[in-house]
Amino acid sequence: MPKKSLWSALNKMNFSIAVAGNPNCGKTTIFNALTGARQHVGNWPGVTVEKKSGHYNYSDNRFNVVDLPGTYSLAAFSAEETVVRQYLENDEADVVVNIIDASNLERNLFFTTQLIELGKPLVIVLNMMDMAREKGLQIDTDTLATLLGAPVVPVVGRTGEGLDLLKEKILRVSKEISSKARLIDISYPRDIEQEIEKLHELVQKNDVTDKHSRWTSIKLLESDKQTRDEVRSHTNGTDILDQAKISIDRIEGIFKDTGRAIISHARYGFIQGALRECVVEDLADTVDYSRQIDRVLTNRWLGLPIFGLFMWLMFKLTYDIGSIPMDWIDAGLVYLMNSISGLMPDGMFASLIVDGVIGGVGAIAVFLPNIFILFFIIAVLEDSGYMARVAFIMDRVMHNIGLHGKAFIPMIMGFGCNVPAIMGTRILESRRDRILTVLINPFMSCSARLPVYVLVAGAFFPENAATVIFSMYVLGILAAIGSGKLFSQTILKGMSKPFVLELPPYQRPTLRSLILHTWERGYLFIQKMGTVILVGSVIIWVLGYFPTEVEIDRDYVSERATVTQGYDTQLVDLESKFKLSVDKDHREYHSEMIDYESSSSFLELQKQFEELRDELSSEQTVALYSLRQQEFGDITEQKWIGRVGKIFEPIVRPLGFTWRESVALITGFVAKEIVVSTYGVLFGVGENVDEGSHGVISGLRSSGMTPLVALSFLVFTLLYTPCLATVAAIKRETGTWAYTLFSIGYSLGLAYLLAFGVAYFGGMFNWLS
Amino acid sequence: MFNFKRPRHKLHITDENDLRLSDLKPGEKGRIIEIGGSENFRLRLIEMGITRDAEISVDKYAPLRDPIELIVKGYHLSLRGADAQKIAVERIK
Repeated sequence: MPKKSLWSALNKMNFSIAVAGNPNCGKTTIFNALTGARQHVGNWPGVTVEKKSGHYNYSDNRFNVVDLPGTYSLAAFSAEETVVRQYLENDEADVVVNIIDASNLERNLFFTTQLIELGKPLVIVLNMMDMAREKGLQIDTDTLATLLGAPVVPVVGRTGEGLDLLKEKILRVSKEISSKARLIDISYPRDIEQEIEKLHELVQKNDVTDKHSRWTSIKLLESDKQTRDEVRSHTNGTDILDQAKISIDRIEGIFKDTGRAIISHARYGFIQGALRECVVEDLADTVDYSRQIDRVLTNRWLGLPIFGLFMWLMFKLTYDIGSIPMDWIDAGLVYLMNSISGLMPDGMFASLIVDGVIGGVGAIAVFLPNIFILFFIIAVLEDSGYMARVAFIMDRVMHNIGLHGKAFIPMIMGFGCNVPAIMGTRILESRRDRILTVLINPFMSCSARLPVYVLVAGAFFPENAATVIFSMYVLGILAAIGSGKLFSQTILKGMSKPFVLELPPYQRPTLRSLILHTWERGYLFIQKMGTVILVGSVIIWVLGYFPTEVEIDRDYVSERATVTQGYDTQLVDLESKFKLSVDKDHREYHSEMIDYESSSSFLELQKQFEELRDELSSEQTVALYSLRQQEFGDITEQKWIGRVGKIFEPIVRPLGFTWRESVALITGFVAKEIVVSTYGVLFGVGENVDEGSHGVISGLRSSGMTPLVALSFLVFTLLYTPCLATVAAIKRETGTWAYTLFSIGYSLGLAYLLAFGVAYFGGMFNWLS
Repeated sequence: MFNFKRPRHKLHITDENDLRLSDLKPGEKGRIIEIGGSENFRLRLIEMGITRDAEISVDKYAPLRDPIELIVKGYHLSLRGADAQKIAVERIK
């Protein structure tokens, strides 16, 4: 029923429209064309299936549009199908707009037959008419409309051709609601039709459903669980189920197949009959362009190299182009931090804003360009139709770990950053595949871990740094494969769906839809990651800031004074020595031609003096700096974060780690590259260390860390709990804390186990000690 | 329209010697005789248009030999070899 609004007196109304159809039928293009940018993306309640809604106005009426997930049927096998079916059955939509790929009519109409049986007011949209024409198909839309009992509107979603007519038809069907515009029935073979009639009578007589009664009867013949449950709960329900059993037995006996398969076949029979009456196929001079393109892109020999090239380009574009605005954002953040520090008095609040909020959120903000570029490229791959080919090419590989070929993309992207990679798992259709891919993705060594490898490997394996770093990547891949196999045989067992993959025709993506897709996903990233990161970085800030007063054994103030004093004395010494030498030299100077002050010997002496003085002052700076950083390290040890590190020290001691590693790993939870800057602080080099920094390297070496412990530390860094942003992404994409906590626990456990293995077995054989 | 020649059977494929979809070479065409496998698998294939008596042709194999690209009802879709083996076909010209 149309929702009555204040305007209804003026005959202006609100209608709700559901857009439904197969995947790849151009449903989203039509939805976008109808609603423009007036969209809202959210989730369907209880499931991580995207729900997109929007609205448009047409002849003074408001149409609220919901873009249902693309499905091939209403069998309710998958989360998407369940969502679509519930939405349509529950009478939430006034009109269903069924989008059909006109170039792939027969299979698309299979879904339509079910929509017709649902008994909803229906508008059928023949999309991609241009491609159908290219394919040599002539469709008699009037006859098709008569046969299906619903208006049929030919459109070309990409160009907007036929959209006005569509809006007009939707309006008309919406307004006819009160008069119950009746659809035709899908006719079945006589034997089936008889059984449907028997059930139909019973269903109507006992009034067991608020749904369309013929739909319910057919669903009973299909032994549909949901329908059976609904019928059973009514009085006389069991009588109806008994009749259903008799009917099913009868048709199964006649057709030698299961009820569901018989009905599905019969639907195709109806479609074939209808198409014979309204489609003329003229195959002369038609070229299947997609097939031509695929002769190259999925070619036996060229397919893999070309795919590799595309992956390389995707990486290159994401991280190289992304690094340009990344630097700007970085510079902007520094400027922001400096100007805020300048504006506010020093103190807790300033530190919270500058170090906690801006520092923490900024660490994520710098990834925004990468993420938007990546989402843009993924949108290109998806909209063009290449993504399906990726699945086709890589399925053999991914099948080994119980995954769908498409899962390869998020896995590769994980080398860049796990956050967009995990969000990229949305390209997978089954929830089980998504969860499995999400769980193993953090083992793909992201770029934030690289600085840690470079630093530690550079300090302890200067000769073989590249080999050590490379083996970390290999270990990560092995951990992902191993865990994938383990999960698919244990916790995610048997939920896998058969691999039935449509390879849709290639299409040139429209810029408008690319931008929309990129923005939708990017916006979710900003929204969700932003809040979690904000909270997380404030927590880490609190741990590092409190207690504000700490007691340190060393008296840094007087040590600093001693250092300064020492240098001052040396400077005075130097000055007096210089004076003496000059006096002596002056006495021996006899030339009348040039003043002594301009003589070469004086200038020589002065130059020597200045060099020595500069050397002295830089020595002093270094000494004071080092002292200040040692103090910082000592202070950190006393802060809560240091104490937390100390608490965990006994736990990580079997791995050979000290409280320093413990602190570094804890801070690395915010973002793994922070491990490096934490070491910078702990070894008194300052926060702005780069990987090659000598201070940290010598600090690490002199801290008593052996190469073996360093290796064990690298293994731990690679595998342990992904960073905060990744955890947030996992929570978002799996939708449950259970999987999120499992992921944290599992990766911690695996990291500990393997790092311990390295330390233990290495120690046993005295390797690298 | 409903010319089901084969008797009903649990696996829906009676003859081990039947030619299977996976036996067809790229470029070859077949007519589907019967679909085996689990009920859910069969229904999924049927809803994708892999119906009894439908014509199906093998377009190509993926670079790593699996899966297979097929053409049925005028569109392209892909199945794994192991699944294609559950589909009995007869070769047609």
